[in-house]
Amino acid sequence: MINPMDLTGKHIIVTGASSGIGKETAQQIAKLGAKASLISRSEDKLKLVKAVLEGTGHNIFPFDLKNISGIEGLIKNIVEKQGPADGLAHCAGVGDMRPLQVTNFDFIHEIMLINFYSFIELTRTISKKRNYNENTSIVVVSSAASKKGDKSKTAYCASKGALDSSIRSIAKELATKRIRVNSVLPGFLKTEMYDLYLENVGKDSFEKNVLSHQYYGMGEPIDAANAIAFLLSDASKFITGTGLIVDGGYLS
Amino acid sequence: MTNTEKIALLEDMLELESGDLKEETTLKEIPVWDSMAALSLIVLCDEQFGKKLSGEQIVKFKTVKDILDFME
Repeated sequence: MINPMDLTGKHIIVTGASSGIGKETAQQIAKLGAKASLISRSEDKLKLVKAVLEGTGHNIFPFDLKNISGIEGLIKNIVEKQGPADGLAHCAGVGDMRPLQVTNFDFIHEIMLINFYSFIELTRTISKKRNYNENTSIVVVSSAASKKGDKSKTAYCASKGALDSSIRSIAKELATKRIRVNSVLPGFLKTEMYDLYLENVGKDSFEKNVLSHQYYGMGEPIDAANAIAFLLSDASKFITGTGLIVDGGYLS
Repeated sequence: MTNTEKIALLEDMLELESGDLKEETTLKEIPVWDSMAALSLIVLCDEQFGKKLSGEQIVKFKTVKDILDFME
């Protein structure tokens, strides 16, 4: 028996690790043998996630990723305690919705800070000498919203589009360091972000407009986590600079 | 803030003319009242009054006055 998605011995940094896709990713990569460094704002929630991870060597690093200038110090701290990284799963993200007329600079900036700027700073820092091992894989959670627009999602769609555009450039630049960079584009999954979305748009409207397109129904966080684990593993060693759509048919 | 001022904020948000809304106007009578308007109202209540408005609460609003009362 072989397991092409085996992550034994790999040190993976996971952001947004206390909930949703990030939490599920932490659990799944631990099952696949990885040592996880978990980042999220809430120390209490991180402790709960770490407590249920399989395997050993995991650690938590409570940190607010809006503090962009502090990210380099955070990665330095992680590398000192856990060793160089073999991978990053950037799952931290916000999906606040606002109609265009109330989409002001402060609102866009707030979303870009978490969804995009922090990713660039994490990637910039991790790809510095001594912070990563050869064949490192960087994976970021984009969204089907990167490809398909929706009312009141200007800032969110733009932030995810920025991610998908940026990885194509970063992948080329980091190829000489043998660092792969990819994104995962989930459709609608059962997460806390989805609960908020539902509250805003209403259940009837959601089922009519979304589930008729996403014909495999609602996805689970594990669906995104498996795609992320695949891109972190050596099974995807020839894949870089691209996005893997995980959307139950939504974009088809 | 007076109710007149609050109504002016709502009219501006909904891109209506001054005087289009009265306290007793029902939300059903407002053609542009939809899910987008509801989202805008959430932002307005947060930014102008520091109040968190939920989808559940919005469904219970029947008239403009209900919104004004929430803004207090």
